[in-house]
Amino acid sequence: MTLKIKDDKPFLRDTSKMLWDGEPAHAEVKDMSPHISFAQITSDVVNSLENPRPIYWWAIAVCVFMIAVGVACEVYQYRTGLGVSNKSNTNVWGVYIASFVFWVGVSHAGTLLSALLHLTHSDWRKSVFRYAEAMTTFALMTAGLFVLVHLGRMWQVYYVMPYPNERGVWSNFQSPLVWDMFVIGTYLTCSSIFLYTGMIPDLAVFRDNIHDGWRKKLYTFLAMGWQGTDRHWRNFRVAYLTLSVYLIILAVSGHSVVSSDFAMSQQPGFHITSFPPYFVVGALYSGNAALITVFIVLRFMFRYEQYLNMDVLRKLVRLTFALAMIWTYLHLIEMATVWYGHDTAARDQLYFKATGAYAGWWWLFNFLAIVCPWVMAFRRWQTNLPVQMVLSLLLNVGMWLERWMIVAPTLGHSHYPWTFDFDQWPSFVQWGILFASFGWFALLILIFCKVFPAVSMYELKELNYARKVEAHHALVGEPATKGAH
Amino acid sequence: MSIANLLQNWSRYRDTHPYGGAKPHMGYKWAMAIDMDICTGCNACSVACYAENNLAVVGKEKFLNGKSMHWLRIERYWHDTPEPTDPLQLTAYTASGAGKHFPDQGAHFLPIMCQHCEAAPCETVCPVGATNHTQDGINSQIYNRCVGSRYCLVNCPYKVRYFNWYNYQDPATENVWPEPLNQQLNPDVTVRSKGVMEKCTFCVQRLRAVMVDARTEERLVREGEVQTACQQACMAGAISFGNMLNPDSRVGKQWIEQGVNIALDVQSKNEHVGDNTPKRGYRILENLRPYPSVMYLEQVRESSV
Amino acid sequence: MENNFNRRDFLKVLGWGGAAVTLSACGNTSVENGTEFVTSHSTEAMPEYAIPGVYVHFNSTCAQCDGGCSIFGRVREGRVLKLEGNPESPINKGKICGLGQAALQAHYNPDRITHPMLRKGDQGETITWDQAFALIKDKLTGVEGGEVAFLTGATSGHTGALLKNYVDALGSAKHYAYEAVTPTVVRAANKKSYGVEMPRLHIDKARVVVSFGADFLGAWVSPVNFTQQYAKFRKGSDGMRGVLVQVESKMTLTGANADRWLCIRPGTEGIYALGLINALGAKGFKVPATAATIARDYTAERVVQETGVSAEHTEKLVAILMQRTPSLVLVGTAAEGYAHGSENAAAITLLNHVLGNVGKTMVYPASVPFPQIEPKAGGRNTLHALSDDMKQGKVKVLFTYGSNPVFTSNPSVEFKENLQKVPFKVVLTHYRDETAMEADLVLPLDSVLEDWGSSVPEYMAETAQINIQQALSERLYPETRGFGDVLLALLKQRRPAEYDKYEDFYAYLRNAMVTNKVALGASSGTSDDIFWRDTVSRGIIKLPATTAKVSGKLAAIPSLAKLTLPNAFAVDEAYPFHLIPYTSAHVRDGRHANIPWLQESPDPITTIVWDSWIEIHPTTAIKLGVVEGDIVEVASRSGAIKVMVYVFKGIHPDAVSIPMGYGHEAMGRYAKNVGSNVFKILDSIFDRETGELALHETRVKVTKTGQKVRIVKDEGPYGGGQAGKRIALRKTTDKVNLSKEV
Repeated sequence: MTLKIKDDKPFLRDTSKMLWDGEPAHAEVKDMSPHISFAQITSDVVNSLENPRPIYWWAIAVCVFMIAVGVACEVYQYRTGLGVSNKSNTNVWGVYIASFVFWVGVSHAGTLLSALLHLTHSDWRKSVFRYAEAMTTFALMTAGLFVLVHLGRMWQVYYVMPYPNERGVWSNFQSPLVWDMFVIGTYLTCSSIFLYTGMIPDLAVFRDNIHDGWRKKLYTFLAMGWQGTDRHWRNFRVAYLTLSVYLIILAVSGHSVVSSDFAMSQQPGFHITSFPPYFVVGALYSGNAALITVFIVLRFMFRYEQYLNMDVLRKLVRLTFALAMIWTYLHLIEMATVWYGHDTAARDQLYFKATGAYAGWWWLFNFLAIVCPWVMAFRRWQTNLPVQMVLSLLLNVGMWLERWMIVAPTLGHSHYPWTFDFDQWPSFVQWGILFASFGWFALLILIFCKVFPAVSMYELKELNYARKVEAHHALVGEPATKGAH
Repeated sequence: MSIANLLQNWSRYRDTHPYGGAKPHMGYKWAMAIDMDICTGCNACSVACYAENNLAVVGKEKFLNGKSMHWLRIERYWHDTPEPTDPLQLTAYTASGAGKHFPDQGAHFLPIMCQHCEAAPCETVCPVGATNHTQDGINSQIYNRCVGSRYCLVNCPYKVRYFNWYNYQDPATENVWPEPLNQQLNPDVTVRSKGVMEKCTFCVQRLRAVMVDARTEERLVREGEVQTACQQACMAGAISFGNMLNPDSRVGKQWIEQGVNIALDVQSKNEHVGDNTPKRGYRILENLRPYPSVMYLEQVRESSV
Repeated sequence: MENNFNRRDFLKVLGWGGAAVTLSACGNTSVENGTEFVTSHSTEAMPEYAIPGVYVHFNSTCAQCDGGCSIFGRVREGRVLKLEGNPESPINKGKICGLGQAALQAHYNPDRITHPMLRKGDQGETITWDQAFALIKDKLTGVEGGEVAFLTGATSGHTGALLKNYVDALGSAKHYAYEAVTPTVVRAANKKSYGVEMPRLHIDKARVVVSFGADFLGAWVSPVNFTQQYAKFRKGSDGMRGVLVQVESKMTLTGANADRWLCIRPGTEGIYALGLINALGAKGFKVPATAATIARDYTAERVVQETGVSAEHTEKLVAILMQRTPSLVLVGTAAEGYAHGSENAAAITLLNHVLGNVGKTMVYPASVPFPQIEPKAGGRNTLHALSDDMKQGKVKVLFTYGSNPVFTSNPSVEFKENLQKVPFKVVLTHYRDETAMEADLVLPLDSVLEDWGSSVPEYMAETAQINIQQALSERLYPETRGFGDVLLALLKQRRPAEYDKYEDFYAYLRNAMVTNKVALGASSGTSDDIFWRDTVSRGIIKLPATTAKVSGKLAAIPSLAKLTLPNAFAVDEAYPFHLIPYTSAHVRDGRHANIPWLQESPDPITTIVWDSWIEIHPTTAIKLGVVEGDIVEVASRSGAIKVMVYVFKGIHPDAVSIPMGYGHEAMGRYAKNVGSNVFKILDSIFDRETGELALHETRVKVTKTGQKVRIVKDEGPYGGGQAGKRIALRKTTDKVNLSKEV
């Protein structure tokens, strides 16, 4: 097949001007410019491993500092006891559980992009899904840490697993926490495999483009002898498709199970039937917001402006807005069912959230999570990087507050008025560990992007090919018949 | 160790609930009745519980932060609206004349400890099965199985579980039993370590001692053979405790006489007559269906003074 | 003092299963199941009872208050682990209160003094007992008997007798019995009105109890016994539930349990009692003429106006008093604590006569026929006398035991200052309390659980009884001594001929009891050993009716002169509030403030722990502009303290209340700096008849300091509310049928 490309000049890389000024004038491209060659994609991605902007190293340093803060807090808490986190016998859960739910939520966006949109042939996902999938894995790893930090005796955490033993003691399969353990464990395993599987062709490219050092050994090992033969590609595609289907089921059930930690208990304010879909959509929502944040950071840090371009961002933002609206609906539904239900305890609970000791936080979260996303509805701001950066962070603050508002005021206002407790403010230990979790997550992402292809080369090339074909057909006046599938 | 073993344990674990016909209580169902009309709220039971069960005295700061360890706490209710503490609200409250209203029919003291629910909400949510229903109807807590997820406390409607936020026996940090106070510790009861949940056990160490004796003599424990520490201390005799299945037991008679059926969540005595039933027995938050094993007898106040 | 007695021969198992019935109905009394009662001097002397893992029960007597409850200790491997009530005693019938339980933590308290200490400047120097006794002997030489003073708490039993003998042996030494909180005025009024100081009460037989500030369920006289009676009273004999009406200005624990809590203007209790008499007469109740004359002026309108109790409630109370007999009227701390406390008390006792309760629900008490071991108690007036003596330099050597006057005295007594004028001060104590800090010589005492003794309770429930206090365990610290041992050693210095034959106090006690065994109810054929073993293992001697004085009769209605009750509206502009010092059932006068269990046990009414507080009525709080948790300065004419506010409806708007016993400046880690000491602002106003300090007469002003704390209490932000849930339910008697209850 011969292709006639109209303009074969290499794409100008004036990246310093592109960061905040929007796209260059000639970039009315969609998700991928047809003016990029395959070789350039390869060299761009391979180069991203070697020369990130200096801010990368500053970011690494900040992350390490954040982790150090958290480790210090955790060592103190481990040695002294959970009491230093300043929970009480009423507010038994706190920031840790809220953050656990938050991080599990963040993980969901990756699955949505990599698996669900894969099935629906949404091609614009091809440049962003790789790091999104990485976020899934790392967010789950972060969430898992919160489980450990939260436990009174983390050194006995293996009791939760049903391992064979002489005493005939099993974990309690009725407990949503055991379901959690299973579902998060499975989800983490599968998403790691999914992430790795999808990277194999790219790792082979790395293997072939890097000639010495530890990287060569690493990529050689991880590429598992990938040769890019037809048979390899066929098996790869079947495996990838199967995994993506499986992962969608896991993602939906995953956060449903996390929601049942709450919904299965009889605490008023937790015991709500609509929690599973509410949690799943909330997870997708906050996860997508996080994707936008990481999108902007990676775009700048690794000079991915051509791949993580404005069209992709616009789509991402629109998706987030749609999810925000679904979530808003479910949030209102949740309140409405409580309001019209005959469970007075739950109704008092809701009333307390809106007017009681946590009212300020509750209204702030409602503002951030319901009102703020409306900024995304306006086309002019959809590709405005500073606005989207701030907005995506605010949405995540809002969604973290949402999780905290599920945990803290609810526990403080239970079935039993004598034990109500409204002023148990988390201590610096809880805040410190929450702070560190962001450092830990960011560090993992940063390291990942420096070591592995943060954008999928082979899929970009597929997309690039499709756009080239489209461009060709546009030029010669024939309808395009084939996309990049 | 097999799946069969798992299933077997599983089914046995579930069948001790009061509903569903069979009563697999193996001759014992420990239960309690507390008469709030003669309870004076003196706290003797609570102190006795501290002495018997090695409860940690957490001190002022930790008490303030809701980390107290009183397995048996006495709650004090007023039978009118709570006083607002905010000055503005208080002004309005007083202007309405409500402030002149003295709590002139006294307080209401409610001793509350683990209710040993037959369908305990805490048991189903514990990930490791550290809290279980025993065959004699006690909600047990296995300290060395507990991992400290605190889910049980979240799901306890009465909030009568207490978490070890610190290592209360660590001489370096939080030692609440400095020498020689530790010599008082009851050797029959574990001193709980950091990170585990604890709660009222119905003085299980006392129960087991007499049950072993009884089994040796091939009989059941007799009424009066065992008392819980709170019951033994209660000067007014407001607490009665015993084996409900024993027809001689006072507590069993009281439950029957008060028309409270442990296996129902709506008592037939209340169904038609509402609050005007001439019986006093009730269980707290019965509508949540935990089927608690502690019956309370309503406080009485003279209508003619 | 080593326990060299070879007592093994009688340290055998007693087949005395009777008292074990409540614990074990199986009748098995082998030592292994640990349900028997045995005698002990110490586990060292009887290793056969120190079987690992086996409980042994020893009977003894509780000394936490003066109620005289019999207890038994569960002892294992030589350690006392738990105290329970001894079912044998009619006073407590197998029960003890939280205060009693907490004796364990007094015994194992980490802040006990372990060696005799001699003052060297500001430091204490450890010395031996021999040195201490030699020093005392040295200091006593050349001092006249009248210049030696003994200040003790309430004493009774054989230590009381030894003390008396020692005081005699010193010549004309003085013994001051002082209790910081004690019903001195009530005793005097009872004596006047009924002929005895402390009549035996039948709360259980009364149909109506009207209590004028007597906190008989909390901290008054013999709460364990009264609570048991109260339970019976509530159940009633035939389904007729007893009715409790409490008349007081600050809600006590008893008030919190009342069917009707009548909030009365402070100090007008006597007016209300006379008003009730008048109202009874007006309703056609047969009121004796003498009483009717006295009460004539107290019309319904005047009573409403002066006491603030509504006419409706008074009418209902009168109606029920006429309808349900017998009733019982009690006069307690709140009524007696005024300058006119004696009049108040007299008026209230008169009401008892009018209602015909005397002889029915209030009967002649039993007493022991041995005057030398009878209880001796005194109030604050004795402290004043001692302090005056000290001020004038009349006291050269002072011994104190069982009281902490530096802490509990009110400022105008100037006890601490006057104490400096005493050249040699010996303090016998368990802890470094405020008085011990001022001492020249501190002698550490055995804890109650290590010591031997006997006691005679002031209030006896049925027959007369002598309580035996048995050592439940070895000494924790070898260098402590029992109070009896110290007295005996001191007596040996004076009267060696008489006392040298007793090796220690145990020997003295045993001898004293065994010598009188026939008078104590044993048959003359009983051997000494068997009698003693039986006595100690029971922990109590119930005196037979023939030897105890129970045949007396309470006096008939006294011919009282016209009572002079003051104007109820005496307003003090500068100090507008009545201060009501409240006796906490936990720390009492402060002597138990160092027991962690009691500090952490919430106050029943406010649920506050680890602190003291001031109760202020909501309307008053608004006037003062304070809310819960504000720190206020409470100032009287004698001093000022800072304390946090608890807004509380169960108090008269003209009164504020602060619990006693907090605010220690010493006494160990659990007591020091916890709360504020209300004794430090009590004015010196005395009851006009008895000279006892009028505890409730102090007037204070309350000013906001601007500081604020989070109040440490068990109740949550909803206070006593239930948020509309069915948690604590209440019925009225017309809606419940109690007659068939189990």
